[in-house]
Amino acid sequence: MISRSQRVIFWCLVWFCIVILSVPTIIVVGASLTGGNIIAFPPDGLSLKWYRQIALARDLQQAFVRSIIVSLICLAVSLPVGTLAGIALTRFRLRFANAIQIYLLLPFTIPLIGSGIGMMLVFGSWHILGNIWPVGVALSVINLPFIIWSVSSSAAALDNDLELAAASCGAGRFETFLHVTLPGVMPGVITGGLLMFVLAMTEFLVSLLLTDARTVTLPVQIYNNIRSIITPDLAAVSSVFVLIALLAVWLLDRLVGLEIFLKSK
Amino acid sequence: MPRDSEDRSFRYPLKWRIMDGLNAALDLLWPRRLGRYTGWALLTPALLLVGILVLGLFQIAENSLHTLDTSTFLPGEEYTLANYLIVAESPTYWRIIWRSLLGAGLTVFFTLLLALPYSYMMVRTNKAALRKTLLIVLFLPFFIGQVVRAYGILIVMGSSGAVNDALGLVGIEPIRLLFNFPAVVFGLVQYMLPFAVLMLAPALTAIPRETETAASSLGANWLKVFRHVILPMAKPGLVGAALVVGTLSLTDFAMPAMLGGGSQDFIANAIYDQFFRTADQGLGSALALLLVALGSVIAGVVIAFFGAGTLGMRGRK
Repeated sequence: MISRSQRVIFWCLVWFCIVILSVPTIIVVGASLTGGNIIAFPPDGLSLKWYRQIALARDLQQAFVRSIIVSLICLAVSLPVGTLAGIALTRFRLRFANAIQIYLLLPFTIPLIGSGIGMMLVFGSWHILGNIWPVGVALSVINLPFIIWSVSSSAAALDNDLELAAASCGAGRFETFLHVTLPGVMPGVITGGLLMFVLAMTEFLVSLLLTDARTVTLPVQIYNNIRSIITPDLAAVSSVFVLIALLAVWLLDRLVGLEIFLKSK
Repeated sequence: MPRDSEDRSFRYPLKWRIMDGLNAALDLLWPRRLGRYTGWALLTPALLLVGILVLGLFQIAENSLHTLDTSTFLPGEEYTLANYLIVAESPTYWRIIWRSLLGAGLTVFFTLLLALPYSYMMVRTNKAALRKTLLIVLFLPFFIGQVVRAYGILIVMGSSGAVNDALGLVGIEPIRLLFNFPAVVFGLVQYMLPFAVLMLAPALTAIPRETETAASSLGANWLKVFRHVILPMAKPGLVGAALVVGTLSLTDFAMPAMLGGGSQDFIANAIYDQFFRTADQGLGSALALLLVALGSVIAGVVIAFFGAGTLGMRGRK
């Protein structure tokens, strides 16, 4: 039983968390609806004029399209690579499995600024800097552990005998993979893909290092604009990210259920 | 048209023939006798992709050994440790390193202080709707992205923001809440909270409710239960969360840049400035490598003391 003093103290802290996590988001969305010309909360009359404004702003539009392209490239690279690696790590007995796991966690253990600068130097020496696609590849590298983790947790739940049964029914190796293994890990692939896409959409630091004025993505564009002047049109752009996040949370809840993250391994 | 099986023109469905073709191609390209290497073949793309990072580290190490030739603005030819000496002898960099370490330490403390009750209440509540709400509150910022979150904090804590408005209602003059060290730590705590809760929650789920009941039936008040039951049993989760929060905030760029207003640089900001303002790649690379080393040493020490299980890696104690 939770005693009263504990309940009071804990709820105060939890409410403090809820406030600091949600209030900035709510205020950004609120500020984007202002009719005035400065950021104000409560907003100075409701209007959608800042959304009209960003729909007409070419730089923001182009940055948004670039962000989508980068995220799709990130998805196109990380989905096959991460799925195969996740399957390999769980369905095959590999020597040095521990060393491989530590190696594949490098994207998380190397600080983002280090990874970003390193890839900037490597891409520079390959003369591919200044394009959009290397940004997508870079984002798939730094978030790769997410999809490997999500696919391998699906693959670990898959019964080994299913593949053997398919093979004994005459399925070739390719058919076994396509009709048994792949559908089995599909939940993990979809969850991982969702994570990769949204994280690539919102990624900032590595994109900042790898883009220039012609290839800037939306989060970097917002950062650049904040440095110059804070206007309500940025609040409207930010609300687009809030919408994406809402969609992602809803999808994640539908696909795997958020409660899965509370389970102990 | 259905035909009977005697018909000479009988053919397998197209899908089957494609499958047979693909199987045959696979047998040709990757014969079954190579089966024991299949795992490695599936792993190769991932190993290569992460290899870009390793290449990058080598390139950084290479760069850090050349000083900038100020007459040509090109990196010098000969190998030297001069860049590391510059960092070691510069009070500015020591101040930045200490600021980053202090910021990371404070962030770990405050984040865990908030994350522990949050995950405890989330795990222990009997109401499914409440648990779901707490989860959504947690996941939404996680997916919104750092820049937009920092922008939200800029608006809320600005000189005419909601916090100062609230203070004005109780008669307090507007105060400058932004562009100082506490603002950066606050931003980092806000940024790290979801990570910490998501790492703590599984550890708390694993603690049976009965142990708490047993402790309190033996006369322990809730502080004692926490001190002697929850904290020891949740230690792997706590250490893992502290490690992740600590290294992520030690190396953070966006919060010091946006909420610190240029006066509260962390190591990552100093590295960025060396590359993009001063264009001294050698010095920037030396700083970057030192940061990677600092992060690895901290992670290594923590894992050596508490075991690798803290990071959710299987096996190896």
